Amino acid sequence: GQEFQFGPCRVEGIVLQELWEAFWDMKDVVQAQDNITNVRLLRKEVLQNVSEAESCYLIHSLLKFYLNTIFKNYREKAVKFRILRSFSTLANNFVVIMSKLQPSQENEMFPISENARRRFLLFQREFKQLDREVALTKAFGEMDILLTWMETFYQ
Amino acid sequence: VPCISSGLPKPTNITFLSINMKNILQWNPPEGLHGAEITYTVQYFIYGQKKWLNKSECRNISRTYCDLSVETSDYEHQYYAKVKAIWGMNCSKWAETGRFYPFLETQIGPPEVALTTDEKSISIVLTAPEKWKKNPEESSISMQQIYSNLKYNVSIYNTKSNRMWSQCVTNHTLVLSWLEPDTVYCVLVESLVPGPPRLARPSEKQCVSTLKDQTSELKVK
Repeated sequence: GQEFQFGPCRVEGIVLQELWEAFWDMKDVVQAQDNITNVRLLRKEVLQNVSEAESCYLIHSLLKFYLNTIFKNYREKAVKFRILRSFSTLANNFVVIMSKLQPSQENEMFPISENARRRFLLFQREFKQLDREVALTKAFGEMDILLTWMETFYQ
Repeated sequence: VPCISSGLPKPTNITFLSINMKNILQWNPPEGLHGAEITYTVQYFIYGQKKWLNKSECRNISRTYCDLSVETSDYEHQYYAKVKAIWGMNCSKWAETGRFYPFLETQIGPPEVALTTDEKSISIVLTAPEKWKKNPEESSISMQQIYSNLKYNVSIYNTKSNRMWSQCVTNHTLVLSWLEPDTVYCVLVESLVPGPPRLARPSEKQCVSTLKDQTSELKVK
């Protein structure tokens, strides 16, 4: 079957098509709640031209943030908008991916991990500049951008 | 002269029809205004940027579609579009699309399909569809260059036995073997890209006949 290869980090057992279908089921509902259309959190500068070596660090930071900040605080909305099944599918798959990612902590990888960190901070800073609820809704609605980037590492 | 935003009903069903990155905004006229001379004005917006932009060729138009392919050609961006109806001095509120992501939402057109036959086999050569381009003189970009994981679903139908089967292929040539001689087979091909569900656009059905079995012909003589 297919697997993710984020540079040295390999993740098996994920069917990306299921994540797509889960997101697509709720895309219109979720994105319609985002009225701050002049802000994009996952801007091109965050995800464009990410090297293989950086990718494991970046996906680890992004998924950790999505799980610990966004999914954690969006659950009530998911119930309200009746998208809990899609919400759970995405959350559970992100947990599995996270559990299998082991970005190397060796010193010589520091410049690479620092690059990845800089990209993540671009995203996080933009997130923090928004009202909390607005930011959660926007980040949740931008998972199509995140999945599109993740797909490039799925072989 | 700016129109007055009145109680004029909005256009309805505003959506993007996107095929191979040719992105057409389309809508239905406002309800209840049959016979009225309605015109429309369109604007578009790039998600994450600052303001709505005009599309000059779609200002005060009477048709109910507007080609925004040029304005939405960076398919890694996401877009919104909106249209309002104008009747005399009155205009409706804006009717707006959802967020449109060409990279994920464009329909992938069918490939070109070339068939050559033998006694017991049919060779199929597929050519990926081309991305929309502004001018015919521009160099062509294959949709394969945009979607490296582009695949094809080839459906084959034996008109004699009424049997049908499908194969999913990634490369551009395919040989169907162990066929029956002197039999008409019909072939239909659809482009597929993993990811969000997309509407399929199958190719025209093409039918060819395998050649007569030469060995049985010789025996008869």
